[in-house]
Amino acid sequence: MKFGIFYEISVPRPWENDIEHEVYHRCLEQVRVADEVGFHSVWAVEHHFLEEYSHCSAPELFLTACAMQTKQIRVGHGIVVCVPQFNHPIRAAERAAVLDILSDGRLEFGTGRSATWTELGGMDANPDETKETWDEYTRTIPQMWTNERYGYEGRAFRMPTRAVLPKPYQKPHPPMWVAVSSPGTEIDAAERGMGSLGLTFGGFAEQEEKVNRYRSRIRDCEPAGLFVNERVATVNFLYCHPDNETGIKTGSRLTGSFGYLAAQLLPVREVHPTRSYPNPGLLAATRQQAAQNPGEGVSAPEGVCIGNPDRLVEEIKKWESCGVDQINFLLNALETIPQEEVLDSLRLFGEEVMPHFADDKPATTSEPRELAATVAAGD
Amino acid sequence: MPINGNADPALLTRYAPTMSSLDTEALTLPDVKVLQVIYEIDDSVMAELLPPALHPTIPPTMHVIGLRADDGPLGAFTVAIVRVGCRAAVRPRGLPTRAVCTEGEAATALEERWGFPITIGEPVLRERYDRQSIEVNDGNVTVLSAQLVDPVPIGNGDLLYTAGMHVATVEREGETRPWLVQVDPEFEVSRADRGSAQIDAFDSNFWDAPDLRPVYPIVASYTTANITLPKIRYICDPMQPAISGTVAL
Repeated sequence: MKFGIFYEISVPRPWENDIEHEVYHRCLEQVRVADEVGFHSVWAVEHHFLEEYSHCSAPELFLTACAMQTKQIRVGHGIVVCVPQFNHPIRAAERAAVLDILSDGRLEFGTGRSATWTELGGMDANPDETKETWDEYTRTIPQMWTNERYGYEGRAFRMPTRAVLPKPYQKPHPPMWVAVSSPGTEIDAAERGMGSLGLTFGGFAEQEEKVNRYRSRIRDCEPAGLFVNERVATVNFLYCHPDNETGIKTGSRLTGSFGYLAAQLLPVREVHPTRSYPNPGLLAATRQQAAQNPGEGVSAPEGVCIGNPDRLVEEIKKWESCGVDQINFLLNALETIPQEEVLDSLRLFGEEVMPHFADDKPATTSEPRELAATVAAGD
Repeated sequence: MPINGNADPALLTRYAPTMSSLDTEALTLPDVKVLQVIYEIDDSVMAELLPPALHPTIPPTMHVIGLRADDGPLGAFTVAIVRVGCRAAVRPRGLPTRAVCTEGEAATALEERWGFPITIGEPVLRERYDRQSIEVNDGNVTVLSAQLVDPVPIGNGDLLYTAGMHVATVEREGETRPWLVQVDPEFEVSRADRGSAQIDAFDSNFWDAPDLRPVYPIVASYTTANITLPKIRYICDPMQPAISGTVAL
């Protein structure tokens, strides 16, 4: 079991007094502590226009800053939106390669397609097309990374033969992931030999089913990249406190705030009927969780990592038994938890929870090629 | 935290019906034609259109809905409804500002049993091969003209209709006061089209939504559906956040 931290970068109103500057720098401080404590990776979303919920529109810049201020922690695009109106595929490949070089080969490359009208409408993107463009990106970007020159004529874009530069530091290229929010997307990940980057907060039974489907299907995959990245990550909340009741109570404020914010956005499916979005996706899932856990009382929903170290160890062992390889934790929303408490929570987790999961060794930065080979062999 | 509505309560209740009882039985209307045209609206007034119980969506939206029943337990009728898209805590909802219905049993039932803010009029829902439209006139003035243009078939399960929060004056436990009545009909869709949304005329004052301005089309849908108007299960204090002001009946 590996552990990561996961950033939406939620900024509460009023947006004055340099609040965005403060929040970004608090996040960077958390990343430095996570690196010292031994977390495996830091992930950052790409979202646009999602007021208060996420002000993380340029994750490659945030992750570059993370890489420059840390030594071991890997940096994860979680995810790059693979829709032409958001990111041209050549630019996505170039930026990722530079980040991989600057981080000394610590990049994890997540892919996805956005699930809100708030974003797709804002970018004037057609929700009907996003699955197709995502598929095209996942096939072509590894080719841009690994061929000296590359040309392409396709549905979402075309390019005459050019050298897309620079090339990533990790060889053959960074591990690739798929954002999995809607049920069934784990199959998309498996069929392409990519990691399943879970972004919803389902319970154990749901997760176990997803993992089983993923493991079963990936055996016969046709890899989109040059190797298979068979890993299952899921997302969770983290608030670790010596006193269980305090931990659950404070953590419930975090989960409630997050879900409440997510619910104010417009999922594609709510306003734009299309087969491309058969499920409401991430936002509805978080909304559902918020409804179950509105931030009142002291009970924690199944599997949510809030409470004292003993409770967290117990919950994480259950996730481990479901076949999950990695848990990525959201640490704050709306600055609900003061910075010092977030840092204390990270340190306590490192001291009292991580040692129970002995295989959580930090990724090396000095041997990226060896790491890639390990991943290629199935990790 | 999310932006709360701050509408003037007097404005909200101007067309609010009185419901003498919340003990409404469910009623199924067969083969209803349903046109829904969704637009983004000017965000500068989004909070003024909603009571404190509700939040505007990001971005804020309006729903123009036309329903036409050619037969059924309430007889033949047509109704045009304008709603503001919103959230009640974490739930997706729409707040009707006004509805115009043809005269008859349906108008009375929709108003008295489900709290629709009904005005009697002559809305017209037209079905063509290249478009479907809803139009409402107030005297010689067209106060609503909205269309679905270039319909293409979609799956019956692709559509999602959100529940309504209807402002109504309710007599309950010896007190008469405004409540938000949750109306969450079930739609059994047998045919569905999707197309471009187009609003050609909209008089916000007529629809009791001052300064509501449709600014960006999202999409329109046109379906044939059996609609079950529900038994009322929840009401909500319009002046309190829905997360604390909701009452189960």
